[in-house]
Amino acid sequence: MTAFRAIVLEHFRRPHNRGPLEHATGHAEGANALCGDRIRIQVRVANGVVEAAGFTADACAVCIASASVLTVYVRGLSLGAARGVDAAWVYGALDGEPPRGRLKCALLPLETLHRAVADAVAHAP
Amino acid sequence: MATGGLFHPIDPLVAGEPAVALATLISATGSTSKKIGAKMIVGQSGRLLGGVTIGGCVDAQVIEAADALVASGGRRVLSIALDDDEAREIGLTCGGTVEVLLEAVPLNGGASPVLNAHRTASEALARDEAAVIVTPVDGAAAALVVTEGGMRVGTLGDLASDDAAAAIAADVLTGASRTETVSGRRLYFDRHAPPTTLVIVGAGQIAMSLTRMARELELRSIVIDGRERYATAERFPDADEVLVGMPSELVARVANGRRVAAILVAHDYKYELPALRHLLRVPVGYIGMLGSRKRGEAVRALLRDEGFSPEEIARIHTPIGLDLGGKSPPEVALSILAEIVAVRCGKRA
Repeated sequence: MTAFRAIVLEHFRRPHNRGPLEHATGHAEGANALCGDRIRIQVRVANGVVEAAGFTADACAVCIASASVLTVYVRGLSLGAARGVDAAWVYGALDGEPPRGRLKCALLPLETLHRAVADAVAHAP
Repeated sequence: MATGGLFHPIDPLVAGEPAVALATLISATGSTSKKIGAKMIVGQSGRLLGGVTIGGCVDAQVIEAADALVASGGRRVLSIALDDDEAREIGLTCGGTVEVLLEAVPLNGGASPVLNAHRTASEALARDEAAVIVTPVDGAAAALVVTEGGMRVGTLGDLASDDAAAAIAADVLTGASRTETVSGRRLYFDRHAPPTTLVIVGAGQIAMSLTRMARELELRSIVIDGRERYATAERFPDADEVLVGMPSELVARVANGRRVAAILVAHDYKYELPALRHLLRVPVGYIGMLGSRKRGEAVRALLRDEGFSPEEIARIHTPIGLDLGGKSPPEVALSILAEIVAVRCGKRA
């Protein structure tokens, strides 16, 4: 088993931050139209910092694993740093690039996270 | 008649009729093509709705008697043999006899125990409660309604009869319509229950066949998918609802209660596991999942790891459907619906 597969399966079986996030200040939903992955990411932003992130998903193992590692990583990041998380970081966290047909699965949480952060900023008091 | 054989004066099929005759199949011996409780409504103008048998000469006799009754008023029981000499000779009869209760029901005012009872039962159905209408087979019209929520409305004439009938009705509520003799008096217990709802996850070919067949079986159907291009009203013209969104959240919203049959035909764990996490915690009447025995065992193992009990996991029917051998989407849909009917009727599936 490759390291990529081992990490994906571990996060799929025991995902971090799955479930509704209390006192969220921003959220976004994303979907892969053809494969049917669906995800909602919530963030709690205060004083320019992402205090917490959580996700709810009906999605494949790659998508769940990506959401799991992302929501762990962004905790405590500044808004600028959170916006700067990119595909390369996701592939690194999963210890490899997904197969070509699964790139969208891995990147859906990233794109949704960016929109959730933007939503929190837009609704900041 | 999706409401289980009930009618109402505002029903367009009986609107404008001054009176109708309500014919109900109340008992049968031998083999009949319809179940006890099957109904036919005959309007004074000759209009028909429903049927008490599969048709042919039996329904013809019922219509003839109903035509006379709707003009004269009152009620009577029609006892009809299901065969005739010629049919028996060439083996083209099922055999047996049926009893049909015929009741004239005025629709343009005036007190009618039958109409009042059906109104009460309709109100119970609107509250998602089953109801049993108890009527004497012989003698003057009377009706007692017993609902799942514990209501008793109407009377059979005296408190002792009402108490005895209510006790039997409580059993009929979870079973099937039947006749019983109580203190020497034959009573018919007519069960009306809200329809079963199919909650179908996965808007593919099998789902399309399921919704078409569900219509014929008087089952409601709700189709759920996360893919907007699949879950469309155009692809599912027979579905009562087509919902797009996070499938597990939609399932949690609509799949509650024992009159729900949840059918997972997405053949994709991304939808199945989240849906099952909800379904195994609520008392839905049926849970089926498309997939091989091996795949089903893998899903069960994952759920076991998450803490679901053996009893909860045992509720999942997978491979889904009765083993009819068919492989095409309509054939698979047929096997699924056959299993749901078997489970609902308490047969081994």
